[in-house]
Amino acid sequence: MFKFRKHRKGLSEAELIELAKQDVYYFGELYETYFERIYRFVFKRLGGNEEVAGDLAQQTFIKAMANMNKYEDRGLPFSSWLYRIAQNEVSMFFRNQKNHHTVDIDERKFKDLCSEANIQGYMSIDEQEKLINLLNEMEQEHLDLIELRFFQELSFKEIADIYSITEANAKMRVYRILEKLLKKWNERP
Amino acid sequence: MRKFSINRANKELEPTDEQIKRHKDFSRLHHDYERLTKRGKKPIYRDPKLYLLFVLIGIILFLILMEEK
Repeated sequence: MFKFRKHRKGLSEAELIELAKQDVYYFGELYETYFERIYRFVFKRLGGNEEVAGDLAQQTFIKAMANMNKYEDRGLPFSSWLYRIAQNEVSMFFRNQKNHHTVDIDERKFKDLCSEANIQGYMSIDEQEKLINLLNEMEQEHLDLIELRFFQELSFKEIADIYSITEANAKMRVYRILEKLLKKWNERP
Repeated sequence: MRKFSINRANKELEPTDEQIKRHKDFSRLHHDYERLTKRGKKPIYRDPKLYLLFVLIGIILFLILMEEK
C-alpha cells in the first residue's frame, strides 16, 4: 500500500538503473542527468528544429522508461543505450517525412569531412554544393555514420557504443564511406 | 528523408539553455508514459464477460437469499 523509497540523490548510476526497472520514480534522476545530452544530440541531428527535437527527446525517454526491464549492463555506458534509442527515433522521423528534411551543417565541420576524405584544396561554393549533392545521394545508413562522426563530432568509441560494434569496426565503416565519397567526387563530370 | 545543406546563414546549431529548459519536464514525461501504458483498460461494465459474471453472481446470491427466506 505504501512504498518506501530511497532518496534518489546519492545513489550510484547502477543502483538507480536497477531501482528504475521497478519504479519509474527513480528514472527521474537518470532523466535529469541525461536529458540535456540527448536533447543536444537530437537538436543537432535535426539541424536546429527546436520543437521536433523536444518531441523526439521526450519520445526517447518514454521508450527508455518502457524498456528499462530489457536494459542489460554490458559494460557500455547507459548513455550509449539512450543515444541508440534517440538515433532510432531520429531515423524513423526522417523515414516518415514525405518531403526532404533539410539538416544544416556547419561549414567548418563540412571542411573537416572534406579533409578527412582527402578532398583537399580550395573549394568554391559551387563545388561545395556539388559535394553536398553527392553526399545526399548516399544511403541513409551511411549518412547516419557521417553525421555522427563529423557533424555531431562523436568519437569512434561513442559511435561504436551506439551501434554495439567495436571501435575498429566503427572506424573502418566510416573510412569506407569516405572512400566511396572520394571515388564519386573523382568520377564527377 | 534528409538532405544536408551548408549553414551559410550562420544559423545557431546548438540549443540555448533556455530551449533546453523549455523542453525538460519530467512530470510531463511521466504523465505521457502513464497515459500510454495505462491506456486500453476497459471499465468493468464495458467488459461483457465480466458483466455477465457479475450478473450471474447476483442472481445466485438472490436465489440463495430467497431460498433462506
